[in-house]
Amino acid sequence: MDSNKIKQHISRQFNDEMEDIRNKVLAMGGLVEQQVDLATKAFMGYDMESAETVVQQDQLVNELEKNIDHECTEIMAKRQPTAFDLRMLIATIKIITDLERIGDEAARIAKMTMRLEGADYYQDKYYEIEHLLELVKDMLNGALDAYARTDVEDIVAITAQDAKVDREYTSITRQLITQMMENPRNITRALDMLWTARALERIGDHSCNVCEQVIYMVKGKDVRHVSREELEKTVNTER
Amino acid sequence: MIKAWFKSGSPWIWMTAGAVSINLILVTGLLTLIAVRGLGHFWPADIVEYRYQDRQDPESLIIGEEVDKSLLLAAQARAAGHELLDNGEYLVQYLVKTGNRDILGSDFRWIQEQYIHGKSTPEDLIAIERREWGNFYGRLLGVKENGTLIAQGEQAWAVAQEKLAKTLELHDEIDKLQDKGVGAINYNLERLRLKQRALELKNQWNETTHQEFIAQKLAYEQEYKVIQEQIGKLNKEIKSNSLLVSEAGQKEISIPLDRVVKLTRPNGMSWLDKSIEYVSNFVTFFLDEPREANTEGGIFPAIFGTVLMVLLMAVVVTPFGVIAAVYLREYAKQGFVTRVIRIAVNNLAGVPSIVYGVFGLGFFVYILGGSIDRLFYPEAAPSPVFGTPGLLWASLTLALLTLPVVIVATEEGLSRIPKSIREGSLALGATKAETLWRTVLPMASPAIMTGLILAVARAAGEVAPLMLVGVVKLAPTLPLDGNFPYLHLDRKFMHLGFHIYDVGFQSPNVEAARPLVYATSLLLVMVIVGLNMFAIAVRNNLREKYRALEN
Amino acid sequence: MTTAQKRTHGIDISALNRDDKSQQAGSLETCIKVENLDLFYGDKQALHGVNMEMPRKKVTAYIGPSGCGKSTLLRCINRMNDLVDGVTIKGKILLDNEDIYDKSVNVAALRRRVGMVFQKPNPFPKTIYENVAYGLRIQGINDRRILDEVVEKSLRGAALWDEVKNRLNDNALGMSGGQQQRLVIARAIAIEPEVILLDEPASALDPISTLKIEELINELKDKYTIVIVTHNMQQAARVSDFTAFMYMGELIEFGETSELFTNPAKKQTEDYITGRYG
Repeated sequence: MDSNKIKQHISRQFNDEMEDIRNKVLAMGGLVEQQVDLATKAFMGYDMESAETVVQQDQLVNELEKNIDHECTEIMAKRQPTAFDLRMLIATIKIITDLERIGDEAARIAKMTMRLEGADYYQDKYYEIEHLLELVKDMLNGALDAYARTDVEDIVAITAQDAKVDREYTSITRQLITQMMENPRNITRALDMLWTARALERIGDHSCNVCEQVIYMVKGKDVRHVSREELEKTVNTER
Repeated sequence: MIKAWFKSGSPWIWMTAGAVSINLILVTGLLTLIAVRGLGHFWPADIVEYRYQDRQDPESLIIGEEVDKSLLLAAQARAAGHELLDNGEYLVQYLVKTGNRDILGSDFRWIQEQYIHGKSTPEDLIAIERREWGNFYGRLLGVKENGTLIAQGEQAWAVAQEKLAKTLELHDEIDKLQDKGVGAINYNLERLRLKQRALELKNQWNETTHQEFIAQKLAYEQEYKVIQEQIGKLNKEIKSNSLLVSEAGQKEISIPLDRVVKLTRPNGMSWLDKSIEYVSNFVTFFLDEPREANTEGGIFPAIFGTVLMVLLMAVVVTPFGVIAAVYLREYAKQGFVTRVIRIAVNNLAGVPSIVYGVFGLGFFVYILGGSIDRLFYPEAAPSPVFGTPGLLWASLTLALLTLPVVIVATEEGLSRIPKSIREGSLALGATKAETLWRTVLPMASPAIMTGLILAVARAAGEVAPLMLVGVVKLAPTLPLDGNFPYLHLDRKFMHLGFHIYDVGFQSPNVEAARPLVYATSLLLVMVIVGLNMFAIAVRNNLREKYRALEN
Repeated sequence: MTTAQKRTHGIDISALNRDDKSQQAGSLETCIKVENLDLFYGDKQALHGVNMEMPRKKVTAYIGPSGCGKSTLLRCINRMNDLVDGVTIKGKILLDNEDIYDKSVNVAALRRRVGMVFQKPNPFPKTIYENVAYGLRIQGINDRRILDEVVEKSLRGAALWDEVKNRLNDNALGMSGGQQQRLVIARAIAIEPEVILLDEPASALDPISTLKIEELINELKDKYTIVIVTHNMQQAARVSDFTAFMYMGELIEFGETSELFTNPAKKQTEDYITGRYG
């Protein structure tokens, strides 16, 4: 679609400001993606260095969130944006909240990893978690892509993945409960696993929120708390 | 260098400033000339006594005011047949106002300095301003009452003044009786005659009305007789005194006091006395009626006529011009026709004024006036009422003359009213006429006043057309008096502009009248300036009211 | 009283989320209806087949670039365009279901029903009192008692009374621009119209005066149907309930202001309101 919509203003300064915000959001998104990546790597591979990086990056993400928030407020005060511009700013403010949460979740995984330093049970691999991670990373990546391209076409696929994530999460939970029942010594480890899975599932939810905001930004329709069918209908209606 | 100076733009400033200065100099110069020449006339000049002897005549005394001095080159003087005694470069001549026209035949006389043996200004020389025959210069010998001398020598002056004051009082009284009494009765008698004539024409003249009219007439005649008796008595009284004077030639003359307007001894006057005399002379000039073929006395009727005529003109031209402008600007569909009309109106302003006079005479006086006479005043025939030049027709002619000015100015004013004001009024449910009347016209009033100012200025100075449609050199009565209907539009009137022309160029005594021409001109300018000032004050007041809107 | 009730201050929570639009829809009643309106200045067509329905006691704003015909359309509603030479109008404008371009319509009476306020404050060079009383005097009402009453009511209605009550007999031209514009509004409401047309009423005013006018418009809409033309989109967004976007003599989009400014249906509208290349 018209991906360079924000470059068509008569005021070039306005263009620059909007462009700047978009770039910052994408940068923040990239950072968060990296965080998720590193956090998982740390968790899976018991990589303390990566965990350290994730925690440090969280600080950066938080700063970015504040920075972008401030810029959005400034543009609103200065330019009284309307229509797409207005929706983009509103959506951006919400998206960065979601991104920051994702960063938090990543940091949580990393911190947990650090806390558990030396625990022997981390030697095992958990393919379910890895799979979940792939799914979630995919969703986050898709959501950010949609934002970058102001394009809602692929969003249905992303939200569809959320169901998959949920299923995967449920299955992991069940598995862990079984393990816990089998051997109470497993409980600590299982709970850690559960928390990690839980964090990944939340990341998936936040990605979905980002997608909803992108739909609002592009289509002007509020698709929060609506059924999937309705969401699909909104995405597919041409304005 | 020069080029740079040209480039700097200062030549342009100098040029424009120069033009303004020249204008300023012209205006002040004009006013000063008129003022000096005109106002000097009222200053009581010294009376000089010359001992004079030229070639032919024996030595004689000449008494009079020195009015003018001329230097003639010796050669020219010889060529003119004069003889120069001392072989000087110039022949010096004085113009002396000797007065005493009844004795000497003329008021003025040129004398040559070379023949003057002596020159003095004795205090006992008197100047007498007389009702006829111009001034008298000479010496006062005595005062006579009913033929007998009651004072002479030193006392004569005081007695003469006292008697003169009394005589002037009586004169005023007689005038008043003549004017108010006899004049009114005559006017009423004339109206009675016209009424009778009207009834006769309508075949309503019968015995009863006849009796009524006779009774009325008798009453008027009775009244008349009474007044006449009073006047007779006063006349007898006024004629009782006379002054015994001697002129330059030592001839004794007796001047009846009722023929005297003023008796002065200017040589004996202090500077203050002269100033007072000066003011009183000026006031007299302003308020008195003219005498002696307009060469003496005042010019009040002319001032009055001018102002009244201009006011009447303004009353006529303002509504007419404004209405025309309103139609042209507000109602008429703008197009070829309105353009033609505008051009016609503008061209009308350029038509020579005498043409308007001819038109006024032909259309207003003969056609309109004639018709009015036939329709409404058949009883006055064959003498015309409105079918003759008069105040009304003069005003109308001038109104026509100044109409373009008012139309153009008003249109200009109307076009300057912002559209938003009209729309504001229309949006409140006002019709176009209501909008015009309540909002637009009041706001255009300063422009209308400007038009009127221009119109007044032009009308007050116009003379040529007026000579054809109503102005006369001497009107017996003012067009405004105490007799019903008070304002007599059919009467002829006097006008300052025409008065100047008449005094300056038509009078038998040009020399004597010359200062009067200047003085009258000055007054004409003052009247016009006064009228304009008034209108400008009104306009500025209006402008102030609507000022905020102009920006 | 439970704690929950205390915390919510007795506000009906369920009412907070009720959709405003559905609530309005029931009470919307068309006041002015424009049907297939074409307008020509000589040969030039200035309005192309405009159709819209302006609801009663709501504020409708016209926005659009200069020369788009929004003022022209506004001036059609009280037939101000009649004053312009060479105007031809086709189509209908129905005010309360009566065609105002019908031959039997008295234009002056129509303008009494449809008041108008212009871009530049245009008080008459009269006193404040006389300005407000002007419309009544035109109607032949000269009773001092009635006039006093109406003048006070109108000035109060225009939020001007407190500022001018002590100088009613001063010249109106001595007031500030914002006051003058409110005076003009007072003048318009003095004759109790049904509709008030505002042609860029705040474009010549400073921001504070503009806010006062906007506040006034907000108050006036309880009693009058208001149509406003404005160049200031934020102003349209602030004061109006409905907005019409016009472009090149055509009505591009007409809808609820909240919708039009957040999610316009037409690209032209969006480009205009977001300041993009048209």
